[in-house]
Amino acid sequence: MPDNCYIPIPVTVDKIREESDDKTLRTFDLSFCDEKQAFDYLPGQFCQLSVLGKGEAPFGIASSPTEKGFLRFTVNRVGVVTTALHYLKQGETIGLRGPLGNHYPVEKFKGQNVVIISGGFAFTTLRSLAVYMFAHRKDFADITVIYGARRPGLLLYRDELAEWEKRDDLNLHLTIDKEVSGWDKRVGFVPTVTKEVAPSPKDTWAVVCGPPVMIKYTLPVLFDLGFPPERIYTSLERRMKCGIGKCGRCNIGSKYVCADGPVFSYAELQELPEQY
Amino acid sequence: MSDILKLDKKRLDKFVAALLSEYRLFGPVEANGLTRFAEVESADALKLDSNTDESAKGIFFPQVETILTYENGKTETPSGPDKPIAVLGIRPCDARSLLMLDKVFGTGKYNDSCWTRRYENALIISVGCNTPRAGCFCNWLDLGPFSKQGSDIALTDIGDALLVESCSEKGRGFLESSDEIPFRKPTDDDLSKAAGVREHAESSMEDKVDISSIKAVLDKSWDSSLWDELAGKCLSCAVCAYLCPTCHCFDIQDEKMPGTSRGRRIRIWDTCMAPQFTKEASGHNPRPTGKKRIRQRVMHKFNYFVDVFGEIACVGCGRCVRSCPVNLDIRYVIKRFMDAG
Ligand SMILES: Cc1cc2nc3c(=O)[nH]c(=O)nc-3n(C[C@H](O)[C@H](O)[C@H](O)COP(=O)(O)OP(=O)(O)OC[C@H]3O[C@@H](n4cnc5c(N)ncnc54)[C@H](O)[C@@H]3O)c2cc1C
Ligand code: SF4
Ligand code: FES
Repeated sequence: MPDNCYIPIPVTVDKIREESDDKTLRTFDLSFCDEKQAFDYLPGQFCQLSVLGKGEAPFGIASSPTEKGFLRFTVNRVGVVTTALHYLKQGETIGLRGPLGNHYPVEKFKGQNVVIISGGFAFTTLRSLAVYMFAHRKDFADITVIYGARRPGLLLYRDELAEWEKRDDLNLHLTIDKEVSGWDKRVGFVPTVTKEVAPSPKDTWAVVCGPPVMIKYTLPVLFDLGFPPERIYTSLERRMKCGIGKCGRCNIGSKYVCADGPVFSYAELQELPEQY
Repeated sequence: MSDILKLDKKRLDKFVAALLSEYRLFGPVEANGLTRFAEVESADALKLDSNTDESAKGIFFPQVETILTYENGKTETPSGPDKPIAVLGIRPCDARSLLMLDKVFGTGKYNDSCWTRRYENALIISVGCNTPRAGCFCNWLDLGPFSKQGSDIALTDIGDALLVESCSEKGRGFLESSDEIPFRKPTDDDLSKAAGVREHAESSMEDKVDISSIKAVLDKSWDSSLWDELAGKCLSCAVCAYLCPTCHCFDIQDEKMPGTSRGRRIRIWDTCMAPQFTKEASGHNPRPTGKKRIRQRVMHKFNYFVDVFGEIACVGCGRCVRSCPVNLDIRYVIKRFMDAG
């Protein structure tokens, strides 16, 4: 008899960090109560975080498998489960099911250039991807990160971004929507910055995650630059319950975002009946 | 030993007793004017003459099911049935639907133990449909009123007696080990009665419509105006999904005992016909309109399921046809698409 696939693994909340200046985003570092239950994962995968009595919700894994000892999640407070997560205190135990879903095709990226384009708090699994590539830096050619938010206080992982700016093996382009004092980096929307930076499509893979409008205006820029849909990847979100392709909730055509995704190439998405 | 046995209906109690010694037994019963499956403890309770109003899926996929309990932060899997489950008197359409649900729950990267622990060791004893109901169309779907797919043992009602045929190792094993059931050898007359019953049932059904190309037709029908027409009629009441033997969508909810640290996580039948089904925390809803939802339901059964599992997720039981309050007949829907395609 298989194990009960709905039983969450107990994890301890080791660290909690306020992530945005409007207090809507918190980052949690979790560790397994029983180290034997620790699992391997790859950038792009997600977990169901479970607060008993409140429910479960899916979150992308923001840590990289190359970082040992913790799993990181950044949670935007919007409803029942996310609010319960925001109320957690250090040392408390919650549950987690995962790793779920597929991952960014890091095997295909080997020896190639990678451009990460992101807006707002969709950056979570892209942080995982970037940190993963830094840890295997020789396996990849040029790495470019274009990341924007409405204002500086809404950029995730700001301390870490400051460290990244010192790296000479990364082209980092941070941008905010509107000029504010004290900001000496780019100003402008992500699609515009992408156009300015104009990464060469030659031997390059793009990964784009962000709010729908950012994606909508970034894709044409990438197509104009010559990126084929096969080499543009994104991660989708859908309302989920089971996370394992059973409850029928998250499908797009015959694909379940939870089980067949959440990572898809635009070539794959073009085959599906619905557009986003 | 001949593959076909005969059991006088008067002795059905012996068959039931043999089943009860090894299994928890479920069968069709009547309550409040509706027929449905319930646990039974005697042959008298069984209502074998016609297909049930509700499907059999709830035996293995209960409408509300505890998937875990918790106390003081510790979770536990609720214990499963103490004995394996036997179903007596399921119709061929429902027996086949269980094979489909098993593909969903029991295959793939994740085996859903809530389902598997009930279905895996189950003994499925079907009874052929002597009198298909109005709206039945199993003959469109590579099935018939005497199909044996998904059955371990198949029964044929020939009046005073049942013919009993094993269709799987499990079924054969049970019949061979149950010496206390007074089986007899069917006579040639019994066998020809059975053939007559079958022919009568098959010929009483409406003509088969060849829908083998429905997936390809629907591939091209995403933008059909027919969806608007259907959505204009459908009330999104979801009776069709509730009664459907292959609909398997569910919701997961937590329940907590007030004032304690105890509670349970349950799964409950849900339906793609409900507007909240896909509503996201941002307020965005990928299927906000009735048109998109009815398209999802039809596409899931006749297109996506074919894509993933190689078969149509419909067994032609006719329950949605009979129960839809606005007479939105799925046969007519499929025919319209076929004609247009
Ligand atoms: C693969 C994946 C990865 C994700 N990664 C992240 C991540 O890294 N970080 C992150 O913050 N988020 C992430 N999300 C989104 C996150 O899962 C959702 O924000 C979360 O599920 C919301 O859960 P909740 O319980 O807080 O909201 P809920 O309270 O469950 O609200 C969810 C929905 O129910 C509706 N609802 C609630 N109450 C009512 C009511 N009374 N009447 C009608 N409708 C109601 C809401 O409108 C909303 O549509 C991800 C999602 C997916 C699918
Ligand atoms: S039973 Fe009829 S009205 Fe109700 S949801 Fe199904 S098709 Fe629509
Ligand atoms: S969340 Fe249940 S099928 Fe995807």
